[in-house]
Amino acid sequence: MATLATPTPAAVAGSDAKSGLWSWLATTDHKRIGTLYLWTALAFFLIGGLEAVMIRTQLARPNMGFVSAETYNQLFTMHGTTMVFLAVMPLSAAFFNFLIPLQIGARDVAFPRLNAFSYWVYLFGGILITLPILFQAAPDGGWFGYAPLSTPAYSGVAPGSSELKMNMDFWVAGLQVLGVSSLAAAFNFITTIINMRAPGMTLMRMPMFTWMSFVVQFLLILAFPPITVALVFLMMDRVFGTTFYQVAAGADPLLWQHLFWVFGHPEVYILILPAFGLVSEVLPTFSKKPLFGYNVMVYSGIMIGFLGFGVWAHHMFSVGMGAVADSIFSLMTMLIAIPTGVKIFNWIATMWSGEIRFTVPMKFAIALIAMFTIGGISGVMHSSPPADLQQTDTYFVVAHFHYVLFGGSIMGIFAGIYFYYPKITGRFLDERLGNVHFWLNFIGMNLTFFPMHFSGLLGMPRRIYTYDAGQGWDLFNLMATYGTYLLVVATAVFVWNFVRSRTRGAVAGGDPWQAATLEWSIPSPPPEYNFAKIPTIGSRYPLWDLKDPSWNADPSGHAVPSDPSDLQEETASHTAKALGIPMPYPTAKPLFTAIGLVVMFGGLLLFRDHHAVGLTILLTGAAMLIGGLYAWLTSPLE
Amino acid sequence: MPKLRLRQAAPVALVAMLLLTLSACGLTEYPNTTFHQNTEFNTAVDALFDRLVFWGTIVFVVVEVALVVTIIKFRKRPGGPAAKPIHGNAALEITWTVIPALILVLIAIPTVKTIFETQAEAPAGALKVEVIGHQWWWEFRYPELGIVTANELYLPVGRTAAFELKTKDVLHSFWIPQMGGKRDLITNKTNHLWFTPDADLPSSAWNGFCAEYCGSSHANMKFRLFTVQPAEFEAWARHQASPAVFSATPAPATPVVPAAQVTSTDSTAPVAAPSTGYMFPKDRLAAEFPHVIPQTPIPAGITFDDALLAGGDPVKGATEGFLLGGCIGCHAIGGVPGAVSEIGPNLTHLASRHTIAGGLYVNDAPTLARWIKNARHLKPGSIMNTIGKGEYDPILKTTNTMGLDDRQIADVVAYLMALK
Repeated sequence: MATLATPTPAAVAGSDAKSGLWSWLATTDHKRIGTLYLWTALAFFLIGGLEAVMIRTQLARPNMGFVSAETYNQLFTMHGTTMVFLAVMPLSAAFFNFLIPLQIGARDVAFPRLNAFSYWVYLFGGILITLPILFQAAPDGGWFGYAPLSTPAYSGVAPGSSELKMNMDFWVAGLQVLGVSSLAAAFNFITTIINMRAPGMTLMRMPMFTWMSFVVQFLLILAFPPITVALVFLMMDRVFGTTFYQVAAGADPLLWQHLFWVFGHPEVYILILPAFGLVSEVLPTFSKKPLFGYNVMVYSGIMIGFLGFGVWAHHMFSVGMGAVADSIFSLMTMLIAIPTGVKIFNWIATMWSGEIRFTVPMKFAIALIAMFTIGGISGVMHSSPPADLQQTDTYFVVAHFHYVLFGGSIMGIFAGIYFYYPKITGRFLDERLGNVHFWLNFIGMNLTFFPMHFSGLLGMPRRIYTYDAGQGWDLFNLMATYGTYLLVVATAVFVWNFVRSRTRGAVAGGDPWQAATLEWSIPSPPPEYNFAKIPTIGSRYPLWDLKDPSWNADPSGHAVPSDPSDLQEETASHTAKALGIPMPYPTAKPLFTAIGLVVMFGGLLLFRDHHAVGLTILLTGAAMLIGGLYAWLTSPLE
Repeated sequence: MPKLRLRQAAPVALVAMLLLTLSACGLTEYPNTTFHQNTEFNTAVDALFDRLVFWGTIVFVVVEVALVVTIIKFRKRPGGPAAKPIHGNAALEITWTVIPALILVLIAIPTVKTIFETQAEAPAGALKVEVIGHQWWWEFRYPELGIVTANELYLPVGRTAAFELKTKDVLHSFWIPQMGGKRDLITNKTNHLWFTPDADLPSSAWNGFCAEYCGSSHANMKFRLFTVQPAEFEAWARHQASPAVFSATPAPATPVVPAAQVTSTDSTAPVAAPSTGYMFPKDRLAAEFPHVIPQTPIPAGITFDDALLAGGDPVKGATEGFLLGGCIGCHAIGGVPGAVSEIGPNLTHLASRHTIAGGLYVNDAPTLARWIKNARHLKPGSIMNTIGKGEYDPILKTTNTMGLDDRQIADVVAYLMALK
């Protein structure tokens, strides 16, 4: 244990007693930024959920008039966009931020201010894309924004009039802004993981969550450029009248689809791999066993990410690519099932011979295995193009990807939230409410999405705002709607628990779950500087080694025991200053720079209608961006 | 103990839900099901799907049973066995890599075979049909037969139909679940799809959908397929190829399409075509195929004095109304000089169709009158102008001060209803 200065009562939370709005606006602390991501993403998750409730209410019965066709189209576009870009990705980002430095034994990410910038850009991008729904002007071209529907000829002006229609402009601008956020964060985490691991933390000793996050960051930096190109083309078409996708000028609309899905399929793995990482932390902890086949779990994660770039056109089997292309993309898609299956079996084997404790996070992790398997199986069903021609664009596909994203990503993220809430806040989420949430969520999810397999195979197309009675779909739709209402109740219980436990939850110690990895060796919530002394790591499961060296939780054979003195929880907290640890200065320069970026895109949106005003705002934003960057880069970090 | 009760209730509820779903499958009818063998295309798809379901079920059962057994057997309990630090097992891991790979091979082989079978060239002698997507209705052309129609497709059973799929605007997707898989309509491109309605099928009606999101009224872009006996098709085709049966102006000296062209293409059983041709019987629709009859309610806020319909004057409708209403700007009617525009559906034999407005409404005089009066009120985003005088146009957000009054609309309806 590090030599300690006198503890100060003000430093109980481990910070220099920082509070108030400014401390959040100017923070560069990865844990605070992670918390901001968590709260913001949960807020967007509720907004996306509300959109889903409205969608399901409209579809509860045939020919309902709850919302108009136009509103419905905005709702399903925004439900998809919100859940993918504003809820699930940033929920994962919350964990990247909070956990990666803690898991690898670092004091912060490599670029703390860039990290703050990523968050602010995400927040403003999210607002830019969401706010128009209040004015009935939200994006309405689907989360996939297919050309030519997204080009000015079909969504540039209101049909039959010359009134400017901005809906898809918000989408095009918003996604570009969000892409900046994701890319900046991805480079940050890659640099962090490569350079900032504690001594002895070799790549193959990294916790599985960090490993899966590492893979995801590479997917992000490889997948976002294609969609950025696609979006810049589309924006040029919409604002400056270029003809990348304008069919009247002879454009091939499949260009958009290829660019979009080259991004869109890796995006699926961007959404699911962090959840895989989280349950790979939860399952060993509550089985009291090391992760089964660690190496294979790492390789299969890399394999999934790698193959994920070679399967994009399986979203396009109905466009008529020809038999050869269909066959190749079909076989590539089937290949992905193999590493994914390995993960499932290895998780089950992790629990085999364990002592399983059914805590709430464990239940969510087990539910991920059970539910994701269903999504995986239906995925193989539409990897076969002739079968897919009957399935694509029907509710069968809606069922499939909700089993993957809700049954997989969301279950994994909930497992992570229940697991890490004590680390983030220092208090447990209430177990009883957690159980109620889990079961309502589990039943609600199955009641919502399982019937969609049937309605889809029985001929119900996707993205229709209404349908006639007697088509064989009535019962399934009604079930799905009731399931959604159950999910509303489940989520309400969760939100109540989440808010209430911050102040009323049982106090958790540094290692409330008897877990094995570094983040549990420090107090909860962690002090600002994370580790008073950077630990030296000798194995994959340093805390388990510490408790019982004979147990040898590291199979590599040549593991050296971690230095026990590094891993004992501090008995008192201190300020960074007292320990002589340099911390980054708080600064709002990243926030200012992010505002500049969004103002710039706002100017571009106005440019379509008012050239002079738009250009002025655009240049103002650019000046803010450049000025902010200059001030930021010329001021010292710490 | 409430905690225990909750734990027990949840799985019970889940099982009950699944049983409900399964029992529902046996009880109700599914008119748009994809599980059928009505065409060779879907017979192939169905065989493939059966195999996928077979292996999928096995994998599902193995995984879920392994999972449930594991969590029950190794739950922590007093006196239970202690956890063992097992890190992995190469033999096991290779096993569960290789077995799924083998299963995938068993799926991949018939998949590739079926891809090449179903995407081969259509067999010779196929009936060529051009499908043209519009926001939000379907244009069907039979180039060999000289037929242009909308939203209702007739195909003879036992003969391959080869579709050429095109679109006038955005992407659409042509899908008749009961005939086989879908194929997208891509702007600036022609796609192909073919299938053969089984020769044993009795004359039947099916639903068709647009399956690719295409804007405001994507849900309202439907069509109907009638698979009919060859003789019935022949009668239908002969009539559809002829110019409009009602005309206020003298009929042109020669028909638009020579009758010889119609008969030369297929017919083995010559049929004496009745003057109104063949139309899938309305009473059979109601009795046997109620699911193809549109049920869209007419939105509130549109009024029409139905009493006027009885007194509609078709001649006035053809001369005055059709021009004043601007109908001629978008709609073609075979044999009527000047009515050649292809923006809207071809109306030559409108009265021989069961539906209007992209399959959204039934084709009867009261509905047609309201449709003409304010199409945009009846179908979101429709580009058809608001024709009724004093009607509020929901797109232009103005009230129409020009246009036709109810009496004039009744005349137009009388005219259109005469276009058998």
